[in-house]
Parts: sequence; C-alpha cells; structure tokens
Amino acid sequence: MNSERSSKSNISNITTTANYLSLYLGQDQGVRLGESVVVSTKAHARMPKKKIKGQIEILTNRDAGKTYLNCIDLDQIVHIDVYHLPGEIDPRDVARAIFRAMDQYFTNQDPQLQYAEEVRFKMLSSYAEKIQISTKLGKGKIYDLFQNEIIPYTVGDEGRDHVHILARLNREEYFMVYIIATTTEEVIIQSGLQLAQVRSISHGKQKEQEDDFGHYIKIPWKRFSGQEATFMSPEENVNQLVLKLAEKFGGIEEIQDWMQMYSRNILKRKGAEYQKKKWGDIEHYVEQMEEMGLMQKTPLLGTTLTKKGLEIQDYIIKHKPELETEIRRNIRRVPGGSSTRFRKVGQSKQKTTQVEFVDYHKTINNSDNWTGNLAVAETVIQAKKSGLLRGDKHFSIKKEDLYFYDKKSYVPIDICLLMDASGSMAGDKRQAACALAQHLLLTGKERVAVVTFQEHSARVVAPFTRNQSILSKGLATINPSGLTPMASGIMTALDLISKSRVHNPLLIMITDGIPNSPLWTMDSKADALEAISKLPEQKIHFICIGVESTRLFMEKLSERGEGALYLVDDLNKENLINLVRYEKNEILKR
Amino acid sequence: MIQYANLERYEGNEALFDLIKMSMLSTIAGEPLHIHAEGLRGTGKTTIMRKAQDILPPIKRIKGCIYNCDPKEPHCPHHRELSAQEIADLGVEEIPMPFLEISHSAKVGTVAGSIDLAKLTDESHPEARLLPGLIPQAHRGILFIDEINRLADTAPEITDILLDLMGTKPGIVQIEEAGLPVVKIKVSVSVWAASNPDEDPGPLEEIRRQLSDRFDMVCYMGRPTSIDVLAKMLKENFHTNIHPDKDIMDEATIAKKHQEYTSSLLKWAEIYKQADIPDFVRNYIARLYVKHNLESIRAIEAMQQSAVLYAITKNRDQATINDVSRMLPLILKHRINSDTLIKVINDIDGKGESIFSSVNKSAKKTDLAEEKEYFKSVGRPLKFLGRNELINTEKSLDVNKAD
Repeated sequence: MNSERSSKSNISNITTTANYLSLYLGQDQGVRLGESVVVSTKAHARMPKKKIKGQIEILTNRDAGKTYLNCIDLDQIVHIDVYHLPGEIDPRDVARAIFRAMDQYFTNQDPQLQYAEEVRFKMLSSYAEKIQISTKLGKGKIYDLFQNEIIPYTVGDEGRDHVHILARLNREEYFMVYIIATTTEEVIIQSGLQLAQVRSISHGKQKEQEDDFGHYIKIPWKRFSGQEATFMSPEENVNQLVLKLAEKFGGIEEIQDWMQMYSRNILKRKGAEYQKKKWGDIEHYVEQMEEMGLMQKTPLLGTTLTKKGLEIQDYIIKHKPELETEIRRNIRRVPGGSSTRFRKVGQSKQKTTQVEFVDYHKTINNSDNWTGNLAVAETVIQAKKSGLLRGDKHFSIKKEDLYFYDKKSYVPIDICLLMDASGSMAGDKRQAACALAQHLLLTGKERVAVVTFQEHSARVVAPFTRNQSILSKGLATINPSGLTPMASGIMTALDLISKSRVHNPLLIMITDGIPNSPLWTMDSKADALEAISKLPEQKIHFICIGVESTRLFMEKLSERGEGALYLVDDLNKENLINLVRYEKNEILKR
Repeated sequence: MIQYANLERYEGNEALFDLIKMSMLSTIAGEPLHIHAEGLRGTGKTTIMRKAQDILPPIKRIKGCIYNCDPKEPHCPHHRELSAQEIADLGVEEIPMPFLEISHSAKVGTVAGSIDLAKLTDESHPEARLLPGLIPQAHRGILFIDEINRLADTAPEITDILLDLMGTKPGIVQIEEAGLPVVKIKVSVSVWAASNPDEDPGPLEEIRRQLSDRFDMVCYMGRPTSIDVLAKMLKENFHTNIHPDKDIMDEATIAKKHQEYTSSLLKWAEIYKQADIPDFVRNYIARLYVKHNLESIRAIEAMQQSAVLYAITKNRDQATINDVSRMLPLILKHRINSDTLIKVINDIDGKGESIFSSVNKSAKKTDLAEEKEYFKSVGRPLKFLGRNELINTEKSLDVNKAD
C-alpha cells in the first residue's frame, strides 16, 4: 500500500467515524471503535458479575463529565477507553503523540497553516487543554503532560489497565476521536504492549450512588468575626444539610425523629428495625454526619450526636418554619425530565369537566356574546373612536362598542394516591411515593388524598386535602410491611372518592408487586380485578404505575379499570413525578 | 405609626436593610439594582420596603414633566428634541424620588401607558393622547411589586412588560394603543419585589424563570428569634406611649435620623459614580463563573455591582473578595440549585479554574482484585481495519450470536 493511498483512505475513515459517532452518541449509546477502543459519553465498567470476559458495560445513567469531572451539564465529555493487555504506558508519550498527530492532521487539512505558526499553535493548544489522559503511571491534560507536568496515579483512579481519555468535544469535533484512538493504539504498540480485544459491549445502569455531601458542607458553627477573616455563611450550610436530610427522611419532623435515635438517652431510641422499614438504608447518612463531626461512635452508647450535632438539632427546632419553607421549595422543584423513561400502555378514557372564571387582565370585543363583565374603560374608548367615524354629535355607546372581560377555564383534577405499603415498598420506594404526594399538593391547585394497603387491610392516610401538614403527618405514619391486599386498597379509595366532593378524580396506584391477600374470595388477583372494574361507572380516571416484572397482571388491571398503565424501570421520585405530570397534561388536552 | 428609623433590625432582616440601601444609592447614581425579598408571612418584607420611602432624597425634573425628565438629559417624547435653552425656559422643579406600586388589579394600560380618557372625552377639545403608565412615571425611582409570584401567575402580560423593563439597564417600555403611534421610552427604574415562596402559586423561579433571573439579588428573610427584639417591637407598636422609653425615639430624632440616612445615600451615590473594582476581584468573579459553570451572565454582573455597592455602604473605598463572598448567597440562591450554591460559597479561594480540577470524584474503591486476564484475545489496530469494521454497536457484537 503506498503512502498516498493510505493517507487518503485514512481521511475517509475519520469522516466515517465522526458520522457514526454523532449518530450513536446522540442516542446515548456507546460503540466499539476498531477492536480495542470503547467510545461513549458515559462511564464504562467491566462486568465481573457475569462470566463473560472481555465485555465492557456502558453505564447509561452515569454521564462521563459528571462522573469524572464534576461537570454540571450532560454530554460535554467524550470518553475514550483504549484497552491493552497488562503493562505500563506513560501518559506523556501518549500526549506527545496525540499532539503531533493533531498537528499533522490540521496541516494536512489546511497547508496554509504551516506558515501561520501562531494560529496553528493556538488551535492545537486549545485542544490540548480540552483532552485529558490517564494511565497507571499518572494523568493530566495533554498541555501539561507535554511539558512534563504529571499528576501521579492514586488508587481508585481510572486508567489502571487501559488508557483513559476524556475529551471535551462538540459534535462537529468528533473526528478527533479517530485521531486520538489510532495514535494511542500506536503508542501502546510502540511501548511493546498488545492491544486487547473488547469482545462485546453492553448498556446498563449503575445503581445510583448516594451522594457524599459530608465533604463539602462545612459546619463552622460560630460566625467568623473581624474584617480579615473570610466570610462563610453558616446558615446556608446548615440549610443545605437539612435539605439533604429532608430528601432522605421526608420532613423536619422525621429528621428530628431520626436524630432522636442518637440521643444519649437510650430510652428515647427506637430500634434499628424501625428505622430500616421507614427509611431504608441510613448507614450512609450516619457516615456523612460523622464526617461533618455531628455524630461520633462511643464505646458505651453506640453512635451519638456530638456537641456540634446537638447544636444543629437545636437550630433545627428553632428555625423550623424557615427550614420547612426551604424543604417545600425543594419539593416543588420539577426534576429534569431527561432521565425519565417509562412505557405507557392503554389510555384512560373518562371525560373531564371544567371550571370557568373571569380573567380581569384580558378584554374581548365580541358583539355575539353578551354575557360577562363589562370593561368600562375599553368600551368608552371604543365608543369614542367609532363615534368619530359615525359622525355622532353626542357621545353614545352602541352594541358593537361593548368590551367584556375574557373568561378562562381550567380542569381541576383531584388526585387520590393509592400506595402499596407492603414489605417490598420499604425504604426508597416509600420515600419516592411520599415525595410524589407532597409534590402534587404543592405544585397543583387541587386536593390530594393518600390511601395505603398492607397486611390484610387498607387505610386512608390522608383524606382529600390542600393542607400540607395533614398530608405530611399522614405520610409519616406509613411503615411498609406485610402482604399486598390490593382489592381492599381499591375499595377503600373508591369509597373515599365517592364520599368526597371531588372534581375529575384521578386515582394513581403505585405498586411493585401483585396482590397476594384476597378480600372476598380466596383468589386475590380476581378480587383486585373485580374491585377495579367498579371504577369506570364512578367516572374515575385511573392510572397504574408498576414495574416490568408485574406487567401481565397490571395490563389486565388497567384494562378492566379503563385506565392507563405506566411501566418504569425504577420507582424513583423523578420517574413518578414526571410521569404523573405527563398524565395530567394528557387529561387536560382532551 | 412606625417609621423607617425605628424599624427593628435583627439578624434575619439585616440583609434586606443592606439591600435597600444599596439599591437606593445605585438608583440615585443612575444604575438600577433590582431586589426581591422572599420570606414567610409577617416577617416585615413589605413593611420595610414601603417604609424606605421615608428616606428617599428628592430629584430634579423638568417642570411638570410626567416622565420625570432629567433637565440635563431629557428622554421623553415631549422634551427630548428641545434645546438646552428651551428646557431652561420651561424651568426645573424638585419632586420626591418616585416610589410607585404595581397592584394586582393592574392592567397593561395602567402599567405601560394608555390613551388619555379625560382628554379623549373632553367635550370641547377631544384629543387622542398617551397617558404614561406607572412604569414610565417611576423613572429614576423605585417600582414596588408586592406578591410578585401571584402577579406572574395571573398576569403574564404584565410580567412580559417587566421582563423588558428589567432586561437591560436602563430598561425599555413600549406603549402601544390602536390608532396611535408606538412609543418606546427608556426607563431607569429599580424594581423591588416581595413574595412568600411558600404560598400559592409557589416560588417565583418555578413560575417564571426569566423574571426571577432578572432580579439581581434576592433576600431571604428570617423571623426574629430574640425575645428582647420582639418585646421592643411590641412596645413600639403599642397604641399609647405612657411610659416613654429612652430607647424609643421621638418625632424630632426620627426626622433627624432620616435626614442623616438621606444625606449619606447622596454622598455614597457620588462615590459610586467614581468607584472601580480591583482587577483581582473581577478575575475572582470570572473564575467562579467558569469553574462552577454558572449559567447567567447577569449573576456575575450583579456580583460586581453589589460588591462595590456593599463596600461603599460599609464606608470602604475598595471592594474585596470578602464583599463578593458575602453577596454570593443573595445573588445565586434563586439562580442555581442549592447544592451548587453551597459549593460556590464554600469555595473561598476560587482557585483551580481548570475543568479538570476535581478528578478525584472517580468511582469508589472498586474491587481491586480484578482478574488480570480479563481480556483474552489481542486486538488488531485501527489503522489496519476497513471501513465496515470501524464501528460496532452492542447489537453487532452480540456474544451469543457470535458464538
């Protein structure tokens, strides 16, 4: 192969690669480039769980920029991993080679650049600033590595057995990926190592890691004084701590309840079992509190609050209204919709009724419609104008001069949440459903009710209400355990809805299981289907939120209830909120 | 009646008093500073803001000009074409600095401007003329909006006018009325707003994100927690004053105190017109923007403006990094999520502008006992591969199919 032809075909490979990359990366997918390189905008992991060797997993819920570089926006960073058989690669060699390859590419593309030293250097160094390389021997940006500045490898860093490259590239710059990959491969071969063949790739999710807030929330309790001292805002830090805790525990009262467990008075403590049912795993939170110096392990009493911890507890009690406002503000926030994935089956078919009211900010001039409130000023102006045209001698108002205030209408939707509180819902799922109830109450104008079912019966946790404290007090009493008596849950909710005066009732059932405790007969599934078939005659909109594994039964259920079924991969807060918002919009459109 | 001088100052509302001072002095100097007080009901947001009228200094305008034309710089449709001599002939008058309020029954006509009904229906000389609304009339002064979250929810068209007004400094108001030419007027007004984020319809940033971003600074009010403060408040608000307290000021002292406030505002405004900010502080602000990926340029402009203003009200001639970090929560809290906010605030040195600065956030201590021979076969280098072998996806690499 002569060099002329090889360089030509090289360029077309570059373009091909760039085109494919913008296609697949745009769909949130990763690809194998060649045989040893994996490219995506996500984090990558091996799959030790399964016995398949040589497979790389692309973690679709872990954006590379966010995971490795603390970026705030998604999809900023292209992640390129070049796998090789065990051995050591000097990142400085890689950096120099990439730098030279880029130089060559740009000069090939535009020979004029040879003479524009300064422009060329500027272009190259801007890329050199945007690309970071790590291997077992260290890491750094190309720019720094080129000048021999290298950050040593620490345990836990990426790049232990591959060349790990992060590049901040736009879609139009994806051609760079090919240059980076080929050059890196060459360096590996020149270092006497062999490339490793990535046998296959797969896409998966990593279980969301809990957030380590302990290291950046600073709790300097005393205000710094004096001109020279650096000002820190203690309140903001405590607020943030409380918000983090509230996300996990629900509300101020529950945070207090939790902190109470670590008091020195053993009699006030409740068992670990109670905690686990209510909040799920809390170990992480205790660790974070320890890191902030708010809790400590003592030989006699186990984990207790420190002096600082007690001060925080006191602060929380004193500033409850302000902190609760902050928490509610957080609950109102609508989570970003991009991460939500759900599948909808069927559609609820009930008709809606609407409420009309006068809009004093908008006037209309409609001589066909005589009803409504008269807008005096607009009418007079119009009469004067038309009087001039009509040539009236005296001021007079005619029918066509009349202006009225416009009317607005909206569709009120009262929501009843029917929540599975069986054992399997304990922990995060319970928290997510509670967060949904709070969010709906705080962001809507309508009333919200909550009904739960567990063990052998169902109960109304909160009747239809607009009062946030009634709702949150009710939610705090939910303590998942036992069986799934779905039929009695449905009947209780139905009863509550028919007894309350509600507008366009929407029943939302959240469950991760199938019924296993009957109501009338011995067959719990048949009972649930029987109960749900009573909904349509009551004109109740029905949606059901479940998980894929229970799909068959759920489909039957939503069909009988003439409702829609939403399947999610995880019953988390974002999914629930986003899909209920979606459903509400669907109802409004009809 | 309680007056500005004897309003109780405590930890929770201290910041609002600072903001009011800063906004007033900035307005006097000709540059608006929009502020927003958020807090629970009964924390005195509205009271403090309304009472601030007591200490506003007078301004000079062309005699009778409803648009508050500055004699040196006339801007309204009636006076902008006149020569200096003609303006001098019209005369100059002194009026209190405008402090107007947009209420909830406001309409586009009353806020921006409308046709003058009185002139139009005049029996002898009917005439179609524009009557400027509240905003043009508040030029060189302050416009107050109580419960702005409710207004943004129920009156989107008034919100749009506010967006124009607050989008640039000075802002723009456009008056449109069928049958009359469109009039565009430059208006320099500081908008003050108050709201309770906890009441319907919720916090402003959830209702109209752009409007919330237009506010340079937001102050979160706290409740008074000290018993002494509360007792003194009760005493001052009591219907009689039988046992005069030496702490409670009489009318004369209050008037004198207001005089002092006003004159210091005027003095500060003069300083502000000449003030500059050291380059390292400016760089510090720029670095915060880059490092934390802040979205809004308005935010860093507000940081610069407020740091200087704050330093001046504290009688210092130069803004320091401390001033910036003190203003940070007030500027950023409504713009970014609380997690980022806390990272910005605690990042005092602001160093390390690189996007690669915190690489240590990598995956946790993974199982280090990974097998050494994870990869079995050797891969062929890219440069030897043909075009159709370049890219493989999950599907094309399916293990089960291949075997």
